[in-house]
Amino acid sequence: MRVLIVDDHPSFRASARKLLESEGYEVVGEAADGAEALAAVEELHPDVVLLDIQLPDLDGCEVAARLAENEDPPRVILTSSRDAGDYGACIDKCGARGFVPKAELSGAVLTTLLG
Amino acid sequence: MTQRLLIAAWSVALAAAAASMAFVLTSNHEDDPAARAALIVGLGLVFVGCGLVAIVRRPENRTGMLMALVGFFWFLSALADANNRVVYSVGIALSLLVYGAFAHLILSFPTGRLETPRDRAIVLLTYFDVTVVQWAWMLTRQHIGSANAPCPDCPDNVFAVTREHALSSSLLTVQRGVGIALVWAALAVLYRRYRNATPAARLTLGPVVLTSAVTIVLIAVMLVLAWISESATHTINWFVLVSFATVPLAFLVGLLRTRLQRSGILRMIVESPDELSLREAELALKDALGDPTVRLAYWQDDVQGYVNVRGKPFVVPEDTPTRVTTKVDYGDKPVAALLHDRALLEDPVVLEEVIGVIRMGLEKDRGERALRATEIRSRALLEAIPDLMFRISADGRYVDYRAPNEFDLIESEVIGKTVWQRLPEDLADEFMTAGRRAIAERQVQTIEYQLGFGEGVRHYEGRIAASGDDEFVLIVRNISDRKLQEQELQASRARIVAAGDEERRRLERNLHDGAQQRLVSLSLSLRLAQTQLQKNPEMAEQLLESAREELAQALEELRELARGIHPAILTDRGLDAALEALASRAPLPVEIEQPATNLPARVEAAAYYVVSEALANVAKYAEASSVRISVAQMNGAALVEVSDDGVGGADPAGGSGLRGLADRVAALNGTLEVESEPGRGTTIRAEIPLG
Repeated sequence: MRVLIVDDHPSFRASARKLLESEGYEVVGEAADGAEALAAVEELHPDVVLLDIQLPDLDGCEVAARLAENEDPPRVILTSSRDAGDYGACIDKCGARGFVPKAELSGAVLTTLLG
Repeated sequence: MTQRLLIAAWSVALAAAAASMAFVLTSNHEDDPAARAALIVGLGLVFVGCGLVAIVRRPENRTGMLMALVGFFWFLSALADANNRVVYSVGIALSLLVYGAFAHLILSFPTGRLETPRDRAIVLLTYFDVTVVQWAWMLTRQHIGSANAPCPDCPDNVFAVTREHALSSSLLTVQRGVGIALVWAALAVLYRRYRNATPAARLTLGPVVLTSAVTIVLIAVMLVLAWISESATHTINWFVLVSFATVPLAFLVGLLRTRLQRSGILRMIVESPDELSLREAELALKDALGDPTVRLAYWQDDVQGYVNVRGKPFVVPEDTPTRVTTKVDYGDKPVAALLHDRALLEDPVVLEEVIGVIRMGLEKDRGERALRATEIRSRALLEAIPDLMFRISADGRYVDYRAPNEFDLIESEVIGKTVWQRLPEDLADEFMTAGRRAIAERQVQTIEYQLGFGEGVRHYEGRIAASGDDEFVLIVRNISDRKLQEQELQASRARIVAAGDEERRRLERNLHDGAQQRLVSLSLSLRLAQTQLQKNPEMAEQLLESAREELAQALEELRELARGIHPAILTDRGLDAALEALASRAPLPVEIEQPATNLPARVEAAAYYVVSEALANVAKYAEASSVRISVAQMNGAALVEVSDDGVGGADPAGGSGLRGLADRVAALNGTLEVESEPGRGTTIRAEIPLG
């Protein structure tokens, strides 16, 4: 499963990459903001995008919504160091597959959310 | 004298009159008994009667008593008409006593007292002349006659012991000579007394002095004639007696005249529809009492003394024989004083009426004074108000105005103009609506408005109050300064709130971007280490090591954040230690100068943030080599100063940090100054009141 990690914090991107790779995921790329994320999806066509909601430019939900408009959209899992409750309904409405708090991220949780 | 005594005295007088009449009518040596009886009875009763009336009127005055005494002595003289030798002789011995009493009466009039030694001497000498000299003479003459006329039928004098004709004549001459001298002395006294009397006293004195003078002149004439012609003496004796009778009547006339005149005028004053002021009351009293020297004064509490009707201080003079002061009191409080002729004391009824007039005057004056005082206070209030004032009619025309500075307005551009000519139409309409409401509801209306001028907008507050049924007063106050302060206060509050919000946002961001991210990474590292523990222990160990480092950094970031929220060191160890900690973290040498201790906590906190922000700015922008901090206490305020030797040129309004500091200091009524000439370093100075 090819994964794109989108987060503005390098330390998280590094930790998440190690964790997912150790559990059999193939991390094909990283992006630090929304624009970078959209470009990387265009280029890399990942199966899964692990997308932080709080990005410096675009809101993660908005990025997810735009990705959903693609012909063959990647499956998006939203993540944040905050609770899902802090973001209200946007998580459900933006077309994302699910939400995982950053501290609970693991290959198994990702597999469950992707179904 | 009680009523019973008066009745008794009158009864005695009637009995004496009856006895006198009996003596005269049965007399064998009286030429005209009927006439003599009528004269004796009439004259005696007139004197006694008038005397008793006078006693009733003025019990404390001895005049009445003396007048009655003259009457009774007069009755005694009827004894000389007795046919019995002894009674006749006693009658002759006492027949002249009436003249002594008469002299006593007229010389002691009107007080009833002989005021001077001279008066007393005249009266005593008269008594001596009519008694002792008379009796001495009687010792020398066997046949005396009647009323200084020859009387062949008269009884003999029982007291005669010798027939020394020469001695008798000498004594008679002495008696008459002394009598004439006394008459002239008495006349002189009466004349001088009348001349010196006040107009008020003359009212009473006049008739009595006139009749008395006529009487004693006639007596003198009689005494002189006694040497020349016995028969002429006999004739003039009748005139003396008739004149004598006029004296008590004159007394009554004097009494009634003054009473009627004074009461009449006083009643006119009291019943007048116009209340008199004290000044008018004084004039009216002068008229009423016939005494131009009457002075009226009233008591003033604030000066604790009397002032006259012109408001000048009035010192109550000592009473003199002619002038006395009557004080009008209300309870224990002095109210007024009346300086007047002593004669007024003789008539308590009139005096009461006079006091009534004074009270009336006081009432009116008190009302006027109160009104005047209110007016003066109102005017002083208006003068003291530093606002523009306009009187505006209900149809919107300026009637009058008052400007604290006379150059504020030009009269011709205000009076007679309408509000629509001087103000923007909307505002003029608003004023007139409020003005009409103020008139209708009698309630002050307030309007805040602003007017544009060349140099900017000025704010005003207009207060509108009804000043009549068809006009109102508009008081205009320039509230631009207040408005400016309000605006600044509002802006400062908004900045403080915004700064608080911003601070919380910054904290959240710092937490989110800092410690929280580290903890997230830490969590992920631990999870990875957990998965690698079995398969790759080496890697697991590396992961745990990096996790430990991550945790240490997270802790440090949290500490830093906590310090930003509130410096714990300030609370725990005070401003000195907190400033030292700031200095030790600063990237350049910091010198701290005698920090003040024992400042209130909120002042310490403000001082800490001033230094903290100033040091942060120095580190960021100043390019300085050293910083000096001083915190001192002076004139009830803390003075905080941070100076650097950097490039200067800081803009106090430019950075949010400095503005936030200024707000923080202003919230404690303090001030923040920034001196930052380019090239001369920067000094931030805060003055924060301690109270």
